Amino acid sequence: MILFKKLILFFKRESKLFYSNIVDLFSNILFFFLSVFVFVFALGTDEYLLKTIGVGVIWSLLLLSSTLNLRKFYESDFENGILTIIHMGGFSLELIVILKIFSHFIFVQIPFLISLPIAGLFFNLPMHDVYILFLTFIIGSLILSCLGSISASMNLLNRTNYSIGSIIVLLFSIPLIIFSVGINNVDNSFNSLINMLFGICLIFLGISPWASAACIKLAIRNK
Amino acid sequence: MLLVNNLSFFRNGIKIFEGKNLSLFEKQIIQIKGKNGVGKTTFIEVILNLLEPKTGEIFWEGKNIKKNIFKFYDQSTFIMDKNTSTRELTVIENINFWKGLSNSQLSDDVIILLLKTFNIGKYYNTKVMYLSSGETKKLELLRLIIEQKKLWVLDEPYNHLDEFSIGILNQTFIDHINNGGMIIFASHFNPNINNLKTLDFG
Repeated sequence: MILFKKLILFFKRESKLFYSNIVDLFSNILFFFLSVFVFVFALGTDEYLLKTIGVGVIWSLLLLSSTLNLRKFYESDFENGILTIIHMGGFSLELIVILKIFSHFIFVQIPFLISLPIAGLFFNLPMHDVYILFLTFIIGSLILSCLGSISASMNLLNRTNYSIGSIIVLLFSIPLIIFSVGINNVDNSFNSLINMLFGICLIFLGISPWASAACIKLAIRNK
Repeated sequence: MLLVNNLSFFRNGIKIFEGKNLSLFEKQIIQIKGKNGVGKTTFIEVILNLLEPKTGEIFWEGKNIKKNIFKFYDQSTFIMDKNTSTRELTVIENINFWKGLSNSQLSDDVIILLLKTFNIGKYYNTKVMYLSSGETKKLELLRLIIEQKKLWVLDEPYNHLDEFSIGILNQTFIDHINNGGMIIFASHFNPNINNLKTLDFG
């Protein structure tokens, strides 16, 4: 019961932090839309071309814009020591990572869902494709949150090279891209690919708490 | 009671401190003294199991803290030399978070009274980023009373404080000891407290 109360407390704090930093989210979404515009203008007015490459382009841009703000994942909480205080308040580091991943998923990735149909409009995507994009992004964004957690916690160990975090995310998200864009090229039965994507999601949900917690532990020790 | 036995710590193969013993009973206060860079902060972090010692063991109420670390954390407050208040949240939001985290039953009236005693009552609904460094430090020290734990571990508690606040802090220490608490703090300041034991790091 006490643990449940503490979980609610944690999410309350995360939501308050999210509302006070909401400009970050807007700038992320703005970056996504601007890069969509850049693509549309660069490719010209060929309707058929836009339709064929649309899903792939949107997915790659989603990936890039979700790596923009990863530094904030743990850094401010780690710098001012509240992570240690939360740990001393009865949360194991693994639990903190899981909670952080879910709050990142809820507060950062879910708002991106709204921007998907609008981006689809620019590429003249049919409704069916937008629906698949929706479906894959709900699963894929959870994977992106896990990857973000891993790369952000690795960045705590390395204060000089921030771009390495984005490299880690891009490297591990290759299977994600393969399966989520691949669904579009399959005509009817995309169930198996969705299952595959879900499997990847579960793998990362299993790995990332331990990996991130180990990194945070090391970061506290090396400080 | 807290027992530390033959503790040593090495960082990257360099000795920070070696063979340190400490025993802290109820109603006792210990100051860790020493110059800069002798490992005062490191010693405190090792005691709290945030760093891994090379040799030595730490016991809390007769049990090795590694085996029941959350029981130990459940009875200790750690004040770092940095401010753990979140800058984007207001003073009262920070206090409510700490309160929930430590499961303390302090009423709101007491909290308002505490804020007024430290002269930061008017910042009740202000974001922490607009407070001065002294005021942020005072807010941080309020955590001692909010969390209502038995063991207080403090790292440089006197930094940024004016004389009036130092007086209040010393009085708080004395009250806590008289109520059966234990305090261990690192500082090179010489506070005016009776029965102060010191652990000299040279």
